[in-house]
Formats: sequence, C-alpha cells, structure tokens
Amino acid sequence: MSTAQSALASRRARPLLTLRARSLLTGYLYLAPAALCLLATVAVPIGKAIQLSLYNDVLFKPQEYGFAGLANYIRLVEDPVFWLTLWNSFVWVFGSVILQFLAGFAAALLLHQAFTGRTVIRTVMLLPWVIPGVVVGLIWEWLYQPNYGVINDLLIKADWLNDRVAWLSNPDLAMAAVIFTNVWRGIPFFAIMLLAGLQAVPDELYEAARIDGAGVLARFWHVTLPLMRPIIVVATATRIIWTFNYADLIFVMTSGGPANATQITSTYTLMQAYANLDFGYAAALSVVLLLIMLAFTAAYLRITKGVEETG
Amino acid sequence: MKRRGIPSSAAERVLGGPVLWTGLAGLTAFALGPFVWMLLTSLKNRQELYATPLRYLPDHPTFENYVEAWTSPITPFSRFFLNSLWVCSATMVATTAISVLAGYAIARFRFAGRDTLLLIFLATQMFPSVLLIAPLLTQWRALGLIDTYQALIYSNFSFTVPFTVWMMVGYFSSIPRELEESAMIDGCSHFGSLCRVVLPLAAPGIAATAIFAFVVSWSELLFAISFTTQTSMRTLSAGLLYMVGQYEVQWGPLSAGVIMSTVPVAVLFTFLQRHLIHGLTAGAVKG
Repeated sequence: MSTAQSALASRRARPLLTLRARSLLTGYLYLAPAALCLLATVAVPIGKAIQLSLYNDVLFKPQEYGFAGLANYIRLVEDPVFWLTLWNSFVWVFGSVILQFLAGFAAALLLHQAFTGRTVIRTVMLLPWVIPGVVVGLIWEWLYQPNYGVINDLLIKADWLNDRVAWLSNPDLAMAAVIFTNVWRGIPFFAIMLLAGLQAVPDELYEAARIDGAGVLARFWHVTLPLMRPIIVVATATRIIWTFNYADLIFVMTSGGPANATQITSTYTLMQAYANLDFGYAAALSVVLLLIMLAFTAAYLRITKGVEETG
Repeated sequence: MKRRGIPSSAAERVLGGPVLWTGLAGLTAFALGPFVWMLLTSLKNRQELYATPLRYLPDHPTFENYVEAWTSPITPFSRFFLNSLWVCSATMVATTAISVLAGYAIARFRFAGRDTLLLIFLATQMFPSVLLIAPLLTQWRALGLIDTYQALIYSNFSFTVPFTVWMMVGYFSSIPRELEESAMIDGCSHFGSLCRVVLPLAAPGIAATAIFAFVVSWSELLFAISFTTQTSMRTLSAGLLYMVGQYEVQWGPLSAGVIMSTVPVAVLFTFLQRHLIHGLTAGAVKG
C-alpha cells in the first residue's frame, strides 16, 4: 500500500500539455477493462441486490413476485434465526481469528529462526491455506467422522475420550469443531504476514537491546511487538473481514446445522438463496451483511490511519 | 537465536534448541497430518477403509479409488477436472491482461479519481461473495448464461481483478520509471515501452499474479454451485460437493478426488511461493 502511494505521489516533471492529455487518455484506456469488469460483476450486482431486497422474489412462487417495500427487512428484524446467526458469526470470527493469530505468531517466530530445511518446512506449512475450501471441509469431515474418523480413534487410544463423539452433529461441539478446522486453515496466513513483519525488524535494534541487558522476553515485548503493530493490525483486520464473509467451510461441513448451531450470517444468506431460493430475503440479508462490513472497514481504516501516524 | 551469533543465555539456548525443534515438528505434523491421512485413505480398498478397529496403513495399497473417481459415469471427476482447468485458465489469462493494464495505468498515470479508484478496488475485496449470488444469478439467467463457462469466468473477475490490480500496482511502482522514460526518448510509444521495458522487468510479479488468479478460482465454490445445474458443467469444488450429495458418502473415491484436486494448486504454489508471499505481504509491511 505504502509503496504504491509513494510512487503515486512522486510525479515526473510536467510534460507538454498535449502529451499529458494523450497520456491521460492512454491511462483511461488501460483502465477501461478493469473498470468494466467491476461494473458488470460487482457494482451493478450490488445495485441489483439492493433492488431485490425490496421485492418479494421466491423463485418457485412466481405468482407472489412483486414490490414489497421493507417487508424483507422487517422479517429480518423479527427473525430469531438472524439474531442467532449474528451471535454465531461473532463466536466464529473471534474464535477463529484469535486462535489463528496466536498459533500463527508462534509459527512465524519458529520460521524466523535459521535452520536447515527452512524453505521446505515453510512451503509444507503453507499448504492448508492454498487448497480449496471444499477440500479442507471434506478432509476434516473425514477426520471428525464418528466411526471411522482418526480423531476419535486417537483420542480414545490416548484415554482422553471414552466414547466416540459425533463432532459435527452435536450442537454443543459443532461450532468448536468448525472453528478448529478454520484455525488449521488460517494459521499459515498469519504466519507469513507476521514472518514478513519479523523480517522487517532491523537486527541492530535487537543488538542494542541485548547490549542494554534485555533478555529474550524483554526483547520480544519491547522491540518486536511495538515494531510489528502496523502489520498485526492490518493482518488481523483483513482476516476478521474475510472470516466474517467466509461461507464455504461451514456450508460444506455442516450447512449451518445441527439446528443452526453453526449457522453464521453469511451461510444463512447463502442457504436462503441457494436452498430456499428466496432471493428477496437473501438480498436483504446480504445488504445487512454489507453494511456491517462497511462499518467495520470504516472503523478499521481510521485505526490504521492512526497507526500510520503514530508509528 | 542461532543466526545472531553464539547463544549467550540459558533461555536462548533452550529456545534455539529443543523448543525450536519440538515446535517445528509439531507445526509440520499439524499442517501435514490431515493430508497424509487423506492420502492413506485414498489408497485403501473398501474393507480396509471401513475396518474396525481402524487400520492406519493400507496393507494392499491400491489405486482403484482414483480410477473409480476419474471414470465414474455418475460423478465424472475427469470432466470436473477439465471444467476447472478451462475456467481457471481463462480466468487467469483474462485477469492478468486486465490487471497488467489497470495496474500500469494506476502506477504511472496521474488522473482525477485515481485514489478513489484504488480505494474502490480495496473495498471490493471486503464484500461478501454471498452478496453477489442472487443478483448475478438473475443477471446470468437474463443473459442466458446459466450452465456456461462464461458465467463462471465473468463471476470470477469479481474477486480476482480487484486483488490482482493491487498486486500489479505494487510491482509496477517498484520499477524505476527512468527506464521507460529513456525508452520513450529512444522512440518507443507508451505501449511499446510497457511491452519492451516494463513487462520483462515485472515478469516475476506478473507470473505470481497469474498463479494467484488461478489458485483462487480453483477454490471457488459458491458461484460454481449457483450458476451451473448440469453435472457436466460442474467444476472440481462443485463436483466434490456433488459427490457427497449423491448417495451415502463414498469416502474412497472422494478422498482420491480430494487428493487430485489438491495436487495442481500445491505444485503451482510450491514453484511460486516466494513471489506470491512477496505480493501478498508487500502491501502490509512498511520499508
């Protein structure tokens, strides 16, 4: 971000006006395809979603199609499942992100050390993050499988468990199980982001702290953490947004069940559109989702601005 | 803390030795374990797969699950694979071309609304993709694009283009513009200097961008299940889900399918991880 902006800010010496006009035109020409893409696949659909949310539009009830005003939004406010999904989203997002951050930070610290085979281990460790969400969901569904799953088997062999547990169909355990899967998937993201942050800390600072008598912990607390604050804020915020929007994993593993125990707002929206074919209500839900995200993004941009100014 | 000279305190010796190695072993096992288990599953025959007590290693490793998944007439995995290959390649080529042009324009030209545009590209990445499903479905249906590759490719642009434009802006900004200026003084046009000077220099970045577009489209699920109805049009992600939905889950062929879906992205990623990581973290790290 900062490299882009600094280059943007430094303009070259003012060229002739005609040349400038021509280069401006070229610039717009180069931008046109990207702008067109976003217009057709993002901007117009968002407008359409807002419009849809004001209509009664259930695919298999075409005779009821028509303008409905705010009916979908009123239904949303009165829908107890919607409020449940908001709470579930909160648990899902913060459970996932906090654990991913802690484990990712530990992984970054390990990978920051010099050892033979570092590149290999780093590549291997990143795998969970690059594979498709469906694949992650299916792998873990198999690991959690009550009768043939290896997790139950190992826990029973270790005497931590007496009976086989149906991880994904027990309402009390399902959320923890999907969060754990998401943590597995998300650790590499934090690990690479924070590793990049660690590598940007100048060695001289550690040397200076060491000469001043700071131990390992003191160096971590007073040198590493303060210097990494900007990247921690950026990585955490992008991850929160991404996790809040992410529907694939839960959709594959539980479809929000059992009894909505793992239903987060984005999967609920998806189920309304995909399973119930209720586009009007799904659109209303997605507009609310978008508003929550915009509010969070606005807050986040203010915070990062503060970070950049103080840091 | 080996790399900073001889360890000086007891704490450092423990952290640099046993703690480091246990941590690394644990990390690797945790990241790889589930894959290994899936690979072992895919090599087992039916009896071994559903044996009680659980059998960890296959006594008679077999590729029959792979053959079955690949050739099954009900869930034709080979067809899913080719669909994904085509959709992702087309998305990759188009996204790269679009984002090279746009990234170059944003990095090099000064025009009104450029900062706003950059912010829009950034904000787009924060939109929930479920938001787009209902409106895009209506849109593709109106255009008669349901069950076509185009619908999937166009829809993929909604999440590939914004991010790759940001990546490209970063790469182009790191190339000194004096090089282009001297090329232009020597008689190159804007487009000529882009092709002859900038693109060769940005080649690693462009490759990373392309791979990124490929890998994220390879993972795409929601558009694929929403905008296709025929089995023959399913992509890998949608096809795997379809395999689950068909009858009781056949874990043998399914695990083979999972492994086959993982290998291409894992290989691509291994080759280009350095560039990808650079591209992903460039925006977030200062200096």
